[in-house]
Amino acid sequence: MKPPEIDWDKLKGIIDRHRGEKWGLIPLLQEIQENFGYIPPAAIEPVAKALNLFPSQVQGVITFYAGFALKPKGKYVLKVCRGTACHVKGSRSIIRLMQKELNLKEGETSPDYQFTLETVACLGACFLAPTMLVNRNYFGRLAPVRVTSLLDHYRKSKEDKTP
Amino acid sequence: MEKLQSIGQLEWLRNKILARSKTAGTVVHVCMTGCRAYGAAAVKEALQEEVNRQGLSGRVEVRGTGCHGFCAKAPVIAIDPLGIQYQEVSPEDAAAIVGDTLKRNRLIDRLAYRDPGSHQPVFYLNQIPFYKKQIKRVLTRCGRIDPTRIEHYLAAGGYGAFAKTLTKLTPEEVIAEITASKLRGRGGAGFPTGQKWKFTREAGGHPKYIVCNADEGDPGAFMDRAVLEGDPHVVLEGMAIGAYAIGADHGYIYVREEYPIAIEHLTVALAQSKELGLLGENILGSGFNFDISLKKGSGAFVCGEETALMASIEGKRGMPRARPPFPAQSGIDRKPTNINNVETWANVPMIISNGAGWYGQVGTTNSKGTKIFSLAGKVNNTGLVEVPIGATIKDVVFEVGGGIPMGRSFKAVQMGGPSGGCVPREYLDMPIDYDTLQRIGAIMGSGGMVVMDENNCMVEIARFFLNFTQSESCGKCAPCRLGTTQLYEILTRLTLGRGKLQDLETIKELGQTITETSLCGLGQTCPKPALSTLKYFAREYEDHILEHRCAGATCDTMVISACQHACPAGIDVPNYVAAIAEGDYGKAVGIIRERNPFPAVCGRICIHPCEFKCRRGELDAPVAIRSLKRFASEWFFKNIGPKRKPYPVTKKEKVAVVGAGPAGLTCAYFLSKMGYQTRVFEAQAIGGGMLGIAVPEFRLPRKVIEDEIEYIKNCGVDIVYNAPIDVNHTVNDLLGEGYGAVFIAPGAQASIRTGIPGEDEKLTGLYYGLRFLTEVRTGRDIRLAGKVLVVGGGNVAIDAARTALRVGAADVQIFYRRTREEMPAWQKDVEEALEEGIVLNLHWAPKQILQNDRKIIGMEFVRSRTVYDDDGRARLSVDPESLQTVAADAVIIAIGQAPDASFLSRDSQIERSLWGSLEVDRNKLATNIPGIFSGGDFITGPTTAIQAIASGRRAAIAIDKYLLGDKSRVEIIDEKTGRPSSAGLALEDESAKDQQRIDVGIEDPHDRIKDFREVEKGYASDREAAREAKRCLRCDLERERR
Repeated sequence: MKPPEIDWDKLKGIIDRHRGEKWGLIPLLQEIQENFGYIPPAAIEPVAKALNLFPSQVQGVITFYAGFALKPKGKYVLKVCRGTACHVKGSRSIIRLMQKELNLKEGETSPDYQFTLETVACLGACFLAPTMLVNRNYFGRLAPVRVTSLLDHYRKSKEDKTP
Repeated sequence: MEKLQSIGQLEWLRNKILARSKTAGTVVHVCMTGCRAYGAAAVKEALQEEVNRQGLSGRVEVRGTGCHGFCAKAPVIAIDPLGIQYQEVSPEDAAAIVGDTLKRNRLIDRLAYRDPGSHQPVFYLNQIPFYKKQIKRVLTRCGRIDPTRIEHYLAAGGYGAFAKTLTKLTPEEVIAEITASKLRGRGGAGFPTGQKWKFTREAGGHPKYIVCNADEGDPGAFMDRAVLEGDPHVVLEGMAIGAYAIGADHGYIYVREEYPIAIEHLTVALAQSKELGLLGENILGSGFNFDISLKKGSGAFVCGEETALMASIEGKRGMPRARPPFPAQSGIDRKPTNINNVETWANVPMIISNGAGWYGQVGTTNSKGTKIFSLAGKVNNTGLVEVPIGATIKDVVFEVGGGIPMGRSFKAVQMGGPSGGCVPREYLDMPIDYDTLQRIGAIMGSGGMVVMDENNCMVEIARFFLNFTQSESCGKCAPCRLGTTQLYEILTRLTLGRGKLQDLETIKELGQTITETSLCGLGQTCPKPALSTLKYFAREYEDHILEHRCAGATCDTMVISACQHACPAGIDVPNYVAAIAEGDYGKAVGIIRERNPFPAVCGRICIHPCEFKCRRGELDAPVAIRSLKRFASEWFFKNIGPKRKPYPVTKKEKVAVVGAGPAGLTCAYFLSKMGYQTRVFEAQAIGGGMLGIAVPEFRLPRKVIEDEIEYIKNCGVDIVYNAPIDVNHTVNDLLGEGYGAVFIAPGAQASIRTGIPGEDEKLTGLYYGLRFLTEVRTGRDIRLAGKVLVVGGGNVAIDAARTALRVGAADVQIFYRRTREEMPAWQKDVEEALEEGIVLNLHWAPKQILQNDRKIIGMEFVRSRTVYDDDGRARLSVDPESLQTVAADAVIIAIGQAPDASFLSRDSQIERSLWGSLEVDRNKLATNIPGIFSGGDFITGPTTAIQAIASGRRAAIAIDKYLLGDKSRVEIIDEKTGRPSSAGLALEDESAKDQQRIDVGIEDPHDRIKDFREVEKGYASDREAAREAKRCLRCDLERERR
């Protein structure tokens, strides 16, 4: 399967809105990331032009922040927390299990663009440890059984619905 | 809403809101932030529906709020003004909550908090221990107001401090008030806030900026998130006051993008304030202009560092730069900039409203106010906690946090995330303050407190943090970029069991260099997790390197299954548990004996470290490994008995063992098994050491230990009783008699004296713990009556107290100097003692023994507590004013036992240790004299049976190596038995998946104290034992499964 086609008009609209904005690079990139799930590499030059920067500066900022990606992500981005509290409560084995279940390594996206598996430094939801974020929904006190049932749910689900 | 033009209009609006809210009656507060992950949204919806359906819509408000703090029991709701809290609420409970509690004032049992001790329901929030020790100042509105509605904040007095600032105070007066309050930066470093403001105010240049640092990136910290989500306006108000004081007209809030709810609530709050004219041009007609923009982070931890954060606001890579110039001189856009953390800003309005004097009512000399901690990890009540600065770690972890789950023991608390360190248990009583923490190698940090228990490996924790900092290092300066990678690689090597002792020095040197030479705070502090764990848990590091042992049983390459690794003797637990599930008890006992010749003894009195590490315990409760061991060994002695053929003697050397305790007999057993002829010399008339002469009959019946010794004897071990090694028969003599090696294991049996006035052994009614137990156990007719005081907190003290009760004492009182958690006694025994009516008096130290006519009449005690000197060293301090006199008929002193090496008086060539024992090599238990080895309690001081057994086996292996001329180290690694079992897989057996732990029966406390009957019963049937055994998850097979 292929990632969804990019709506270039929409992208242009976003860039235009930030044209010439002071300190506008990060907010602009965030908006692109949010709308497309990644920053299409072809967007780097127009972004640089709009903000009067070198493309290398734009590229430099994109690669510096973990929040920006140059590759498309899956429909469900699974961010498994590997913060301290989750770690002491066994998030390592949760990550291992997810890798096995999804056959993905950290940072990889499934060929059908259904899932992207990521880990995150801390979700600030330590009281839920071990925890993960699926798009914008938190799931806590994960145990192997719960992880497999969640994945089953999202495998089938075509819409973004919380189980 | 219309824009407010003056202070008067603000007050008018506030009064209008208050007047309107008075008409509303009950409010149900539903946490809609943290609890959302547990379906709080559905709970709120269901409650609202029920309120409407049952016709209460005019009188009851269902309100979505921020965090209540008690995240462990999410979703949590609170009902005011009733003051009720319900926990773990589901949408199905809504009908009952509305119908019973709201309509009929009936409390719902199943939704109430349960007191962990009494299991009684606690309905009212102010009676729940979690809230009792807290002082909510910053969090006072969090969980009570709807954060998306500015009216709620105004009704609670919000923006009043800002109004006061604009009308009554000059900027200098604001700064003076903040300085006087001694507020220090809550982001971690603790810089005085007033001073920081002053610098920025006095700096030249315009415009000036202020920034709220909400890039809360420390793993384990979530208090900023809770404040932003639950009470965003307080941060805006604090910033507005700060801007006025500093002379800034623009502010930024830099918030992590990983906090979507915080961003949402901040966006709403900003829009509302602007709409009301509390932000913007000419605020409330005062002529003061101030606006705030929201900047989202993009997932870079280093952006929490102030210079990196400012670079990021400017749209650049978030890399720190060298200071000076400090942001106060040159910050955003090279203009004077003042950066404070979320919690610092949230403290500002209350200081202005109530004054520095009020603010300083709580706190320590140098730091005033409260601090919010996010409590997480291995603690019962995870959540958000606000306590006065100066509260102790114990207050937070044990009083508020409710202690460690599953009865496991506390190991350390990690404070300050990757920039902080681990605080070990000796500092539990230390007041938490910026300065005290700094001194012991941790930091206040942003307030993350991650609790670790005995199942966490400290080397692995250090590795975890270095992995974090090495991946978050921005790469600008070499010490941090390369140093963290090096540290991470070394620590990884250690956890893989491939470390060298030299690595420990390298960690220290490297850590020092990184600290001194890194550019920013991230780099300067990143070695702390490694350095502090190495400082306080050096033994764990050494064990990884030298013994292939991981104290937390988490390092994969050393551990087959956690239970086996936790066992000092390394018994293949999963396989014998599986053999029991199969009904093959003989095989089970055989597997145990591969490492431990005392299955029946350990089945009764072992402290079972295995169960504390059992993975099933993470699911519901650990497998009852000890009771299963007892069941199998009981079957063995009943059906097969202690008879067996001796092991053939295949070696020419003879070995002598001094002392027939668990260490000595284990050593002899394994040597016999290896083919050596062994003889054990025992001074007493009976064997078993402490097991034979001290452990009371009601815990370990005589028959059990006799059977076990008989079995060992039948293996070929020759035991001679009444054969002391002393001046008449020395260790040297043994070597002369043809023994190739000698193992000295006489135990630690000399009672320690208290040394207090009045302690005279000849007093009538004065006993020493161990001697008292021995005399009772060996049949001397001792009768006690009246009131008996026991001094001490170890196993002997508890055994002595319980024995005293059984020989006639009417009232037994234990006095111990420290806390219950610090008692070395096995907690199970302490609980049983309490059930039997024995009273525990904690924090009392003995002062004097009182006598009349050579007979004890009582004792004096003084209050004792742990105090810390300036270097953070703990010592016990007593308060002489607090004298308590207790009348008594008898006193039993049981404050500890020590080894007594005086019997070796003529073997003076053997090197002594400082405390009266022998100096041995930890790995081989070898003394300085070739062929003489020593182990067990004699070397370590009083420990446990299983540790003595492990020591005995180690000695046997070391002696074998010595006799073979093999000079290599003893390596005791976990091994699988040659007799694997396949049954007992809970994962494959549906019925065992949900099977609850089956505990063995206990005699009734009222009956059991009448005689010496065994307190604990075994499993009643094969079926019961098999069902329990099948709960095992067989972690040992996981490698094959993977």
